[in-house]
Amino acid sequence: MSEPDDVTLLLDRITKSYGDFVAVNELSLAVSRGRIFGLLGPNGAGKTTTIRMIVNITAPDSGTIKLFGQTMSAELQNRIGYLPEERGLYKRMKVGEQLRFFGELRGMKARAADAAIDRWLERLKLSEWKNSKTNELSKGMQQKIQFIATVMHDPDLLILDEVFSGLDPVNVELMRDVVLELKAAGRTIIFSTHMMEQAERLCDDICLINRSRKVLEGSLREVKKSFGRNAVALRAEGVNGVLADRSLVASVKPHSDYVEVLLAGGADSQELLKRLLAEGARVTKFEQVEASLHDIFISKVQEQS
Amino acid sequence: MNKLLTIIKREYLQGVRSKTFLVSTIVGPILMAFFMIVPALLMGIKTGGATRIVVVDQTGRMYERVREAVMQPGIDINDDAVPQAVSTNNGGARQMPKEAEILKAHYEIEEARLDGRAFDEVKRELNERIRQKRLDAYLILPPNLLENGAVEYYGRNLGDLFSIEQLRSRLSRVVIEQRMRDANINENRVRELSRRVEMSTVRVSESGEERSSAGSSFGLAIAVGTFIIIAILMYGQAILSAVVEEKTTRIIEVLFSSVRPFDLMAGKLVGVSLVALTQYLIWAVVFGGIALYGAALVVASGLDLPTVTPSFVLYALIYFLLGFFIYATLYAIVGAMVTTEKEAGQIIIPVSFLLAFGIYLSFPVIRSPNSAFSFWVSMVPFFSPITMMVRIVTETPPFWQIALSMLIGIATVLGLIWVAARIYRIGMLMYGKRASLPEVLRWIRQT
Repeated sequence: MSEPDDVTLLLDRITKSYGDFVAVNELSLAVSRGRIFGLLGPNGAGKTTTIRMIVNITAPDSGTIKLFGQTMSAELQNRIGYLPEERGLYKRMKVGEQLRFFGELRGMKARAADAAIDRWLERLKLSEWKNSKTNELSKGMQQKIQFIATVMHDPDLLILDEVFSGLDPVNVELMRDVVLELKAAGRTIIFSTHMMEQAERLCDDICLINRSRKVLEGSLREVKKSFGRNAVALRAEGVNGVLADRSLVASVKPHSDYVEVLLAGGADSQELLKRLLAEGARVTKFEQVEASLHDIFISKVQEQS
Repeated sequence: MNKLLTIIKREYLQGVRSKTFLVSTIVGPILMAFFMIVPALLMGIKTGGATRIVVVDQTGRMYERVREAVMQPGIDINDDAVPQAVSTNNGGARQMPKEAEILKAHYEIEEARLDGRAFDEVKRELNERIRQKRLDAYLILPPNLLENGAVEYYGRNLGDLFSIEQLRSRLSRVVIEQRMRDANINENRVRELSRRVEMSTVRVSESGEERSSAGSSFGLAIAVGTFIIIAILMYGQAILSAVVEEKTTRIIEVLFSSVRPFDLMAGKLVGVSLVALTQYLIWAVVFGGIALYGAALVVASGLDLPTVTPSFVLYALIYFLLGFFIYATLYAIVGAMVTTEKEAGQIIIPVSFLLAFGIYLSFPVIRSPNSAFSFWVSMVPFFSPITMMVRIVTETPPFWQIALSMLIGIATVLGLIWVAARIYRIGMLMYGKRASLPEVLRWIRQT
């Protein structure tokens, strides 16, 4: 764990129940400054409830939340930018006015808000829509407007819940660049999603929760390493008995144009390559693969159920 | 504080810039005028021409006078027992102000003589004429009319109460007049001696004596109540929809992550009530001229205008705001409980009932403004905006009572906003189903 100075957000054994249903159970986690923290989990795992406690919409039944080293308060809310999974904008308000309202709500002065609005609308290629009513915009555009509303007051902590859902690939790339820019500028970002491919591309650290409990946490690299599997992606012609050798190969999983070979415990991938070449196989692809976040997610979640 | 202002500003600007605001500002007064004037107009309209009446005069000497009285234009002040109205020739029926002209009924009258025929035969013939619609009604003046004053009216339509009552009162006059003549009583002397007592009303209050009419000051208090009701009917729904909108569009999640629920609720209420006040102000400016002209007309016609003192205006404004806030917050609470505006329809009924009940309570209060009953109902915040106003214009209660009722009102508003905010905050986490009352109560207790 990092030094306290570098910790933006610290959750200490927080629990929240609704009636008999425990939404979040004894969850502890630390989010370091300037990093992208993936809050991952299947639907209904407790991600949104956790976020709502972080942004002070609801209070935990027990446990403490420290933001920037302080107990959560109304003042601290201004230093957070929260993009909820379920988006909402005032439909009949003009884009510019709407953004200014949200800016002022986070304590911005009107002039600063206007400057930020123009800058962000241009960055997200929406300048021409500034004076349009929100309901004249497409869903994707509205989503980008809401993103601006989340970041325009330059918050130290950004919480993005399923930020890419509903965006086309071009806009996904655009938003990804923006998120990485914000990270480079020293902002801390909590990135909540159940889309593991996205998390894998963006996150520095992850925390996987399932059924209201934390099941896995750490830096992406550590997690993948600890979950290390000895697997090889292989595409070869003229393979005979090698893959059937149980002392070397545990299992073979076919993919579209290659097979994934899981090596037996203690076996070395170099040994496999040697044997293949010795057999006279023609190898066109031979790549050591680590488990994807997706695989880790699936196996961890299935392990529990 | 800044966030509260931001919320108020948005709510206000959205409100006054909306098309609904523009339309209701223009159409509102037109509708109001429509509802006040049109029924009066319709009541007064006698369609289908004059009422055709036949008189069977068995006394043999009353027909001429009856005809004269019935055909006389104008409408009667219903005061027929008083001989003041005896003389038919000098305005026995008082001329009413211009707008009452339309209320006068038109008659065509003729006499049916027996001419030796049997009474029953004449009746049969008249009944036949009524059935054939050649006649609307006939009156039978029996031979002993002057002694026992009984007249029979036969007509196709007994629902035209207005005409029947008018005929009755005019016939009474004629009969009374004839009785006096027969008794050799000087009509002029009678009229002079039976002048009515005029009573002018002077209110004794802490600040001295004020000449004012009891009825009109009561009207003033009711007017404040009416303003509250109109404002609530127009804007309560607006608050409710705004609350529901933020829930259904999920804006609420972002709002609650940056502002306290109490500020959000209070900001909404203040913003919307400023919209309502703006609308009233526009009406006041535009129609102020018309109102002054109207007031001048009333004064010219000799009626008393209610005395409006600065303290009254201040109280009226405060109680208007209190009443508006209390009921608007109730609407907001309902909005926070439901998931769609449709659901709100039924839940809102008790709120409307409470509002109407305040008006009803003002009737016992005006009769004894300082009774224990009046005291207590003017302390109940849901009624005090109307009942306390009635007490203020009738027998102004001690200042501490007014202050106390205001404090209770303000505390209620704050308490209700707090409750609304709580329900709002917890209700936003619920989807798809309306909260039951026990659930809502649990939300309020929950931290």
